Amino acid sequence: MWAAMQSSRDWLGVPHAASAPAVCLPALYGGSVSERIEQRTRLRAEHLPRDATVVVRGGRDTADKLLSHARRTARAWSLDGHPLLGISVFAVLDRPLDILLRERFSTFRTVYLPTVESLVGAGFELLATGRRPHFTVRLRSADEVERERLLVALGAARDNPAYGQTSIWPEEG
Amino acid sequence: MYHVDITADLNDEDETGFVWTFLDEAREPSHIVPGALVVAGDEDAAAICQVVDLSRAGDGTIVHLRILPGLVEDYQQLVQRALAG
Repeated sequence: MWAAMQSSRDWLGVPHAASAPAVCLPALYGGSVSERIEQRTRLRAEHLPRDATVVVRGGRDTADKLLSHARRTARAWSLDGHPLLGISVFAVLDRPLDILLRERFSTFRTVYLPTVESLVGAGFELLATGRRPHFTVRLRSADEVERERLLVALGAARDNPAYGQTSIWPEEG
Repeated sequence: MYHVDITADLNDEDETGFVWTFLDEAREPSHIVPGALVVAGDEDAAAICQVVDLSRAGDGTIVHLRILPGLVEDYQQLVQRALAG
């Protein structure tokens, strides 16, 4: 058990204590690993083409926001028995980008549009979680270096051309 | 800037196809019940959502949210029209 927790601490970027830690993972990230929803058996059997596929992430991320989002995922989900640090993206697969933006991202003023290559090339794994075309970008740790690396891989936030396009009752005039 | 009822990453989805977050990220968890309309997201990106269900996961309770069409500002205009009429 302790060996598994040590491994998890490596993975989450939590510094090692010289001996048994005063604060264990459940205290840091909430809950025991066994209570998290294991994703390995739920992953879709699909792989993204690295060279051409664009993924979409809505919003404007900061290192602090990425930490908050990744910790939320790690609190709820596990992968191979370890808390899964990750953030959500959607791949442009079955529908054109403009349709995906309009149907799923119209509440975001800005979006990130990195390629799979930029994320995988930076060392991030994309897991086919949830429903197609949702994926989780897996972080190996929650430390600032890793989060800054992810921000670079996401690229610049761009204005979302589909922002507000699903208005429930547009004003006239 | 939005003041949300429940903090969420509106990108997050699970196998249900709904957005999810934790109940303890709500300003007033007792208001988060199935069918309730809430503002979810963060100070930069928020949406009107309907609470679908609640379920246990990790050390807490996960809330599934259905994102409703339109911007928060659209609903503000809708309510203003209704109350002015």
